[in-house]
Amino acid sequence: MPYNIIVLIKVIPDLEQIKPNPTTGEIVTERTPLRLETLSENAIEAAVQLKEKYGGKVFGLIFGKPESAPMLKKAFAMGVDDGIVLTGYKGNNPVYTAEVLCGKIKGMQYDLIISGNQSADTYTGLLPGIISGKLGINLLGNALTIALEDRKIRVKSTLEKKIQNLSATLPAIVSVTQETNQPRLPPVMQIMAAGRKQIVTEAAQPQTMPGTVQISNRAPRSERKRQLYEKPEEGIAAVARAIKEEIR
Amino acid sequence: MIYLSSVLLLIGLLVAAASFLYTLYSLFWNAVKIPEKKIRMKISLPRRIYILIRNVVLQGKLFKDPSGGIMHALMFWGFVAFAGYSATFFVRGIDPSYELISPGIFKDIIFLTVDIFAIVVIVDVIYAVSRRWILKIPRYQGYNGFEAAFILLLISVLMVTYYVLGVLRMDGASAGIPGAIMEGIPPAFTPVTGFFASLFPAASGSGAVDLYWVLYSIHAIDFLTFLVYIPTSKHLHLVAAPLNVLLSKDTKPAQLTPIDFENQKRFGASDIRDFSWKDYLDFYSCTECGRCTFNCPAFLTGKTLSPRDIIWDLREVVIAQGSRARHSGIEEKDKILTPVIGDPISEEDLWSCTTCMACVEQCPVMIDHVEKIVDMRRSLVLNQGKAPKETIETYTNMENYGSPWVNDPSTRGDWAKDLGINVLSETQNDDFDILYWVGCVASYDRRNQDIAKSIVSILKKANVKFAILGSEEKCTGDPAKRTGNEYLAQNLATANIETLNRHRVHRVITGCPHCFNSLKNDYRAMGLEMEVIHHTEFINQLVSLGKLDLKSLESDEKEKFTYHDSCYLGRYNKIYEEPRTIIKAVTDNYEEMEMNKSKALCCGAGGGRLWMNETVGTKISHKRMEMADKINATTVVTACPYCMVMLDDARRVMGKEEKMHITDIAEFVASRLN
Ligand code: SF4
Ligand code: SF4
Repeated sequence: MPYNIIVLIKVIPDLEQIKPNPTTGEIVTERTPLRLETLSENAIEAAVQLKEKYGGKVFGLIFGKPESAPMLKKAFAMGVDDGIVLTGYKGNNPVYTAEVLCGKIKGMQYDLIISGNQSADTYTGLLPGIISGKLGINLLGNALTIALEDRKIRVKSTLEKKIQNLSATLPAIVSVTQETNQPRLPPVMQIMAAGRKQIVTEAAQPQTMPGTVQISNRAPRSERKRQLYEKPEEGIAAVARAIKEEIR
Repeated sequence: MIYLSSVLLLIGLLVAAASFLYTLYSLFWNAVKIPEKKIRMKISLPRRIYILIRNVVLQGKLFKDPSGGIMHALMFWGFVAFAGYSATFFVRGIDPSYELISPGIFKDIIFLTVDIFAIVVIVDVIYAVSRRWILKIPRYQGYNGFEAAFILLLISVLMVTYYVLGVLRMDGASAGIPGAIMEGIPPAFTPVTGFFASLFPAASGSGAVDLYWVLYSIHAIDFLTFLVYIPTSKHLHLVAAPLNVLLSKDTKPAQLTPIDFENQKRFGASDIRDFSWKDYLDFYSCTECGRCTFNCPAFLTGKTLSPRDIIWDLREVVIAQGSRARHSGIEEKDKILTPVIGDPISEEDLWSCTTCMACVEQCPVMIDHVEKIVDMRRSLVLNQGKAPKETIETYTNMENYGSPWVNDPSTRGDWAKDLGINVLSETQNDDFDILYWVGCVASYDRRNQDIAKSIVSILKKANVKFAILGSEEKCTGDPAKRTGNEYLAQNLATANIETLNRHRVHRVITGCPHCFNSLKNDYRAMGLEMEVIHHTEFINQLVSLGKLDLKSLESDEKEKFTYHDSCYLGRYNKIYEEPRTIIKAVTDNYEEMEMNKSKALCCGAGGGRLWMNETVGTKISHKRMEMADKINATTVVTACPYCMVMLDDARRVMGKEEKMHITDIAEFVASRLN
């Protein structure tokens, strides 16, 4: 039977290209290129695979900024049917993010929500749990495989050292890991079709951020001296000297 | 007067010719009607005629394998001579009163040639049989042995009956037989036949006449069988190969046909309609000789890829599905034309190819294997999103970082920070004569940064006013293009062309043959006109102009140098001599490895393979290092960052670090500047 699947897509600044402000140490993300969070790609892949297997539709939900729109196109190219960008993301605050997403999801018809189990920019890993609580649906975390049957979902879930078999009734929320699948390379026809699709954006509700507030976000100071020693003997001695000085 | 023999011969000829022509018509009409891929070709007639004479008349490409080449060339020339004889045989047989070639010295010379070549062909057949079944030359094994045996039998019977008929004629057995051939040729012009005649007592009487007719019939039937058999066998190449050579695609190899994403509906080659008419001609021309496969680095190191099989498998699919598809409507066609990837051509084989062009270089009938392989990769990547995992990662990186690795693009020019050179992304100062295109490998790979620095020191020493793009430079797209991701490759190329135009670049030097080939050939096809020079060419020019003065080092005395050819410099762009000239200007201690210049063994990195794991068989780079070891080379000189990465790694893994060095030609020169 066909299922309506919502996939939560996170857009993050490319971590490889983030630089701290050299004087204040504050992380500067304004002009950093954006990219799809790797685990969101796994979530999209999982959702599209389920659609291909059982039928149905995949809806992509981004809570981000207007600049996140191209990432939704990428999701379309990978097989997501429809989606929206909620704008107004103000930074890391899982409680607020969950509130915004749940506010949107509550008004939608869905059987399953899929998201990454965490994201590489903040690593809180809290979102799937908070959403599960707010919507009152089961969370099946760290899924390696997902199978659906009528109103039932079965998941092989990976814990650090063992694998658990979980099942629940739908609707439910599932979080995936990098081992869950290999995200596909979108076929060109789909990339081009996605390029022509209109992106719908909507201001996030509520607009004020409750809960924790980020006071500062600074990179530890590190200075490179750029000294190059061609001979290992000299290099090793220099490193040893530097460490000794640091300890003193 | 009408003779029974004439009537029978005429009927036989008509039937055989009809079969021959119908099969050809069907094959060639398939090549016109089914293919949907459009190709662009330059007419350049003089060049084509030159290639035709060189490679068909003079059999030029066959001599890359001298023993097999001489054998085939003699067979070919013998056949051409014999064609004159056969034409006379049939014309005289059908209408004895008609002389196709009027008697005289010209005719005598033709028959002299035939008489000599017939024995050459017989010896050749014996040689061919021994190569295939006694010496068991590997490249013939396992391929249509029956077909080869049958053809060799037909050829030898044709030649032997020619001589026996000639001997009988000399004995006078054919006197008075209408249409007997070669009457009136002076014995001096048939010396071989004369020799055979002298070995046997003269045949006479009605027995001799009967024998004459029997052999005459065998000779005719043999020839007609051959005619019927040609288009259904690998001997179709007798017809297709000369055409294929004449129509060979441009004169530059492996310029992949770009895809027009706006207007094309099908991308890459999924089934036989996705090839071009020229590809069909390639399929028909293949002689199954195996030269391609036995020079393929993948095959030589134990992978299952065989370029011969790729061509032959596609040919079989064309023959099996072509005529049916040609006669059917669109929907039915979709059912008849099954995908060629999976079966018969495995994905693994497609990904094993390094696009080194050794196969194309060796193929005597000028078949292009590489474009077909890349077209099938395109089908996988562009239609199905399928590629090896590592390759998909490189695509993501190229998209996000403009390089195949995860690297912050803003650090691309960092290696040049303290060198005091014009980095355009920082200075925007377009006052330079030549742009040094650094490339991804030299920008980010530690070992290859040394090479970039050497190039800089050479340019400085020669007072060249140059600049680099710094963070404005992106991957040229070569790894994407050769793995079939034409979409990404075009996006990268478009961005780079925009940058190059913005800085009004007219001359580029690069140390990377892959960048070199992209900028020079691929980008030109996209409309960018600029002079692109590889550092080997540039350094060679500087040395010959006296702008660089080189000295030899004391240590050179004890060294043995060799040069490893990069495929994209050598076979793709025919730069073989420049690096050798540079090395030899400094030292005499130089020796070639086996497989060099146009026959050079790839390092294993091209065609996107640098970023894929090589898990089957021996590593190609290890095989190459073994070749260097065999001549006791102490320094292998390269001119390509891909080769440097591969060979340097092989050297380390094989424990040859102490014994052997790998150095780029730029480092070789920079350390010997006066
Ligand atoms: S290009 Fe090189 S690796 Fe590819 S099939 Fe030809 S010879 Fe083999
Ligand atoms: S493709 Fe060329 S080299 Fe290879 S088997 Fe055929 S004719 Fe020979």
